[in-house]
Amino acid sequence: SPRVPLDEQHVTEPGGRPLPALHPQRKEERCFLLYAPPPEEDSPAQVEEFLENSQFIYEDMEWLLALPHDKFWCQVVFDESLQRCLDSYLRLSPRGTDPPPLYSSPAVMAMQHSLHRSVFMVFLRMATHKESKENFLTPAVFAEIIYDNFLFDIPKILDLCVLFGRGNAQLLHKMIENIFHQQPSYYSDLNETVPSIIQVFDTVLEKCGLQSEDTGATEPLKLNTHLRITTMTMSEEDLSDLVLYLCDTCSTLHAFLDIFPEASSMFHQHGFLSRVSSFYEMAVPDLEKAVKKRHFTKCRQEDLWRRLCHSRRRIVEITHLLLQHTCLQPILEGSEDTAVFVDDLLQIFTAFLQEKRFLVDYDEQYPVADDISLLQQAFPHLDETRTSYLLQGLESAWTSLGKKRSQPS
Amino acid sequence: PCWGYRESYREIWYIFFGKKNYVFSWLLLQAKRVKRQELFAREGLTWPKVVHFFTQHLEKREQQTTSQELKSVLQAAKQIVGTDYGQDIIESAAVFLFKTFHNKEHVGHEETRAIKQMFGPFPASAAEAACAAVDRLVANIGESQAEAFIQSQSSHQSLDHGATFGRNIAFSFDTYVLDTQDTLPWEEEPDESRNLDF
Repeated sequence: SPRVPLDEQHVTEPGGRPLPALHPQRKEERCFLLYAPPPEEDSPAQVEEFLENSQFIYEDMEWLLALPHDKFWCQVVFDESLQRCLDSYLRLSPRGTDPPPLYSSPAVMAMQHSLHRSVFMVFLRMATHKESKENFLTPAVFAEIIYDNFLFDIPKILDLCVLFGRGNAQLLHKMIENIFHQQPSYYSDLNETVPSIIQVFDTVLEKCGLQSEDTGATEPLKLNTHLRITTMTMSEEDLSDLVLYLCDTCSTLHAFLDIFPEASSMFHQHGFLSRVSSFYEMAVPDLEKAVKKRHFTKCRQEDLWRRLCHSRRRIVEITHLLLQHTCLQPILEGSEDTAVFVDDLLQIFTAFLQEKRFLVDYDEQYPVADDISLLQQAFPHLDETRTSYLLQGLESAWTSLGKKRSQPS
Repeated sequence: PCWGYRESYREIWYIFFGKKNYVFSWLLLQAKRVKRQELFAREGLTWPKVVHFFTQHLEKREQQTTSQELKSVLQAAKQIVGTDYGQDIIESAAVFLFKTFHNKEHVGHEETRAIKQMFGPFPASAAEAACAAVDRLVANIGESQAEAFIQSQSSHQSLDHGATFGRNIAFSFDTYVLDTQDTLPWEEEPDESRNLDF
């Protein structure tokens, strides 16, 4: 007999009434709980509370994974408490970049591990429209279901990457690729999200007093205007929050682009590289100075410094990922528009000459001369005047910052 | 959805429904316990069946003692679920206690957790009384017979874990972590604030 997709199937419920296989009445009343992260203190009562709450969620996730295909989708589509539960896990589950807990209760760790795996498997199942030859959804209906019911949205995808990434990069890539492939509206959503992500960097600049929200930099401040708050005058708590916010943003964005580099072009189209490089040039030295000079406890100061260095490195890596996927790769693959990509890459590097600190940090991690050398091999018509100008500018950036290369490039 | 909207929405949701709202979390947990009790009650074994099982095989002189032990279990169940609940819930709790303790001599950590997960905080003395009464009941019949009875009465459809989604998918706990090699360059610059010389 021909195999029928779930969205076209009908079932007869007890009582003899036929229902579509995907119907709210077929959902079980399960009442999924909200996730709460492991306690920060080693108090037996809090540990017990965490274990109890997590055990409920874990059992519910395992129950969900063991459900037949049709019942799984009924639950996923019609149970709002399940979506709230999954959302709370993505929102509150500890990130790998979070400070390690001060204690390590084996029971808490084991529970968190079990839960972590089962939550991922639920997301993986929700991203799979064809489980087997018998169990599948029509791709167009799958696309509609995941989008209209917010089973996946851009912030959730970003959270998934940072929480489950690295170790499960291949699986995650397949998941996200399938979601975007089946439902192109996610590309439009991403397109709308990129300016908001860029805005995050602008917000950090504003909070640092490096960019005014409503007045141009050239406009003099009125006499009665409050003094602008800077990283040296804001409260230490606010400065700390700002560094954590930046670290979280950079880590999440890096994880997403690392796992789904197909998104690079969209960031590139929004002029992300020029924005992020100028952000780096303005904010990094300012934040570095403030973290060093402000009176934090030594332990806090070390942590903030690490987070700042981590953010710096992630920004450089994000830049490299974007250049790699939007310019270098097409050039090396012998694209028809090689000349356009070469010009684009040289223009970007040339623009970086204004952001000396950023350029030098980038060059330290990913030598620009290596990329130029690759270009020369792949594109014999390369304008040597431009490349010489670029390499000289790079050299002068190193000199002006008084830094020495650890290895000659 | 866009980043800003979604993030602020989540923040509001977190304040109202996240860990900051203990009352809401507590209500959810209570609702979850009630749901679990309902699911348990549907599993097949009922208190009258337990009573019938213990009384049918016994001689009259043993029946009185057995009846006392069964009452003790029921009484413990009443103390554990609280007095606000009807007879159905109390009997269902008694069945739960019987199933939990039928092969246990003491109230261990696992049993405590299982009861708490089902009914919330409870008096330890009630659990101990139930455990002791079930132990004496089962001793008269034999543990294997009690086990066989529970199995035969259970209509609970256990999940087919062989078909669990993701069972054969390798999962890694390796995650993005903070770079640890960066230490503060304390010696790099003198502290300007301490070198001011007017």
